[in-house]
Amino acid sequence: MSDTMTRPKLRLDHVTKEFAAPRTGLRTVAVSDVSLEIQAGDFVCIVGPSGCGKTTVMNMIAGLDKPSSGTIEIDGAPITGPGADRGVMFQDYALFPWLTVRDNIGFGLRNGTPGRGMAANDVEERISKHIELVRLGGAETKYPHQISGGMRQRVALARLLANGPDVLLMDEPLGALDAQTRLILQAELLRIWGETAPREERKTAVFITHDIAEAVFLSDSVVVMSSHPGRIRAVLPIDLPRPRDEHVRAHPRFAQLSEEIWELIRDEAYRAIA
Amino acid sequence: MQRSIEIDSPLPVSPGNPARPTLAAKVAGYPAVLSGLVTLRSFAVFIAIWWAAAAWTHSPLQLPTPLSVLTALKSLAIDGEMLDNALTSFTRLAISMGIAVVVAVPLGFLMGLSERANAYIDPMVEVLRPISGIAWIPLALFIFGVGDVLPVFIMTYVACFPLLLNTIAGVRGTDRRLLAAARTMGVPQSRIVRHVVMPGALPTIMVGLRLAFAGAWSAIIAAELIGSPSGLGFAIEWYRQLLMSPKVFAYIIAIGAVGYSCDVALQALQRTLTPWARGTELA
Repeated sequence: MSDTMTRPKLRLDHVTKEFAAPRTGLRTVAVSDVSLEIQAGDFVCIVGPSGCGKTTVMNMIAGLDKPSSGTIEIDGAPITGPGADRGVMFQDYALFPWLTVRDNIGFGLRNGTPGRGMAANDVEERISKHIELVRLGGAETKYPHQISGGMRQRVALARLLANGPDVLLMDEPLGALDAQTRLILQAELLRIWGETAPREERKTAVFITHDIAEAVFLSDSVVVMSSHPGRIRAVLPIDLPRPRDEHVRAHPRFAQLSEEIWELIRDEAYRAIA
Repeated sequence: MQRSIEIDSPLPVSPGNPARPTLAAKVAGYPAVLSGLVTLRSFAVFIAIWWAAAAWTHSPLQLPTPLSVLTALKSLAIDGEMLDNALTSFTRLAISMGIAVVVAVPLGFLMGLSERANAYIDPMVEVLRPISGIAWIPLALFIFGVGDVLPVFIMTYVACFPLLLNTIAGVRGTDRRLLAAARTMGVPQSRIVRHVVMPGALPTIMVGLRLAFAGAWSAIIAAELIGSPSGLGFAIEWYRQLLMSPKVFAYIIAIGAVGYSCDVALQALQRTLTPWARGTELA
């Protein structure tokens, strides 16, 4: 038991990822020498400019990509491939266009490991529960192309959660939403993640964003990455009190932390648009 | 340039472009009555030109008038001969399409999923594909003789290629993000094929089916012209020998009508099977 208390949930040890361009064979270093420990129950945001390898890091944790060198461990065991213990919410949601909202949310439960050993009734009940959780009742029989971007995003979130993963990996999940919806869903996300629950019951979350305020609002710590090659610039603990609500944005510490992160990435951000 | 690293990654990470309404989708919104009138008008122009040309040539053998063709069409329709021939041809078509689907679609899945199977089979396909189905008719006459088998063989041959190639393209074109999503949910490979690759490839396969049908329907006429004692193609040849041009033309119209109806039916099938693909480039 004491072992699990000290051992991080996720550990990246000197992880480097290179890609070879298909025709030219030209090698690009996407991620260079990234070491990071994430504790169970932590909400960690990764921020950084475009091209800093945030998505690559997430794909490697998900097991969809293999590091060129270095190791990634979950609960002390190396990650060899994708698994339902690490749920992914993709940037563009990756919903199955031929399935209804309900069938999309139930896809993993019906076809994958999350539903293994569950009775059919329980599976359906769990799907219904998650439809309610993201307030999609009434849209269950619609197809992804028939619903709004905000609703699709909630379908993806419900699908992620219905599978009950230990680790939530989210790649700019709120990126396509308008500012108001985004604020509402940030708070919603914290509630679903288990902000009000005791620490042991919270899931481990890795959240990619380029929105600094979003990162500060959500995280226990923010990982700041820089690009070319993608590496970790700094890891900032976010010591704002939980549970957080809208008012936390008015907290002087909130502005201070946002400022600190901005200082770390501003040079690159300016260079990127120059 | 800033995103180049991510673009180079084997997993697509850029946001997918949402389905944009295509021209077809816009035309579909056009009032049906109006588009019906436009069709009618183009038919009227066509018939007027035909009539003028028939009057000009004044040779009922080479170019009968629309009216004489209409009369022939009516008499063939009334005594049921045309329906018999159309049914014969249609049955052959249906059998051929059935065989082609059973052969080409699984083969396409195999070739699309397995690089090795593809390496074995693809060279053969590439050699056979440019050879028109019609080129096989003389040989098929020796093997099958005159009868039902020959047109079915030719049509199956013709239908297989577009179906096969579209199935391969559909399987290979499966959205990699959806495959990745399924893998992160612990879905086993066989179920990924069944629940992700198959529905993902279906719109492209349906396009292949329509192309296969169009090819097969063109080939059946040639096959029946030479190698069959029945069917629409045979009827054309029969009335040609009897020098009854209006009936030849009546059968040509029947071929067009059956072909058009089948394509409409296939489009309806496509819409029913893949409603989600509407508004994308495949619908």
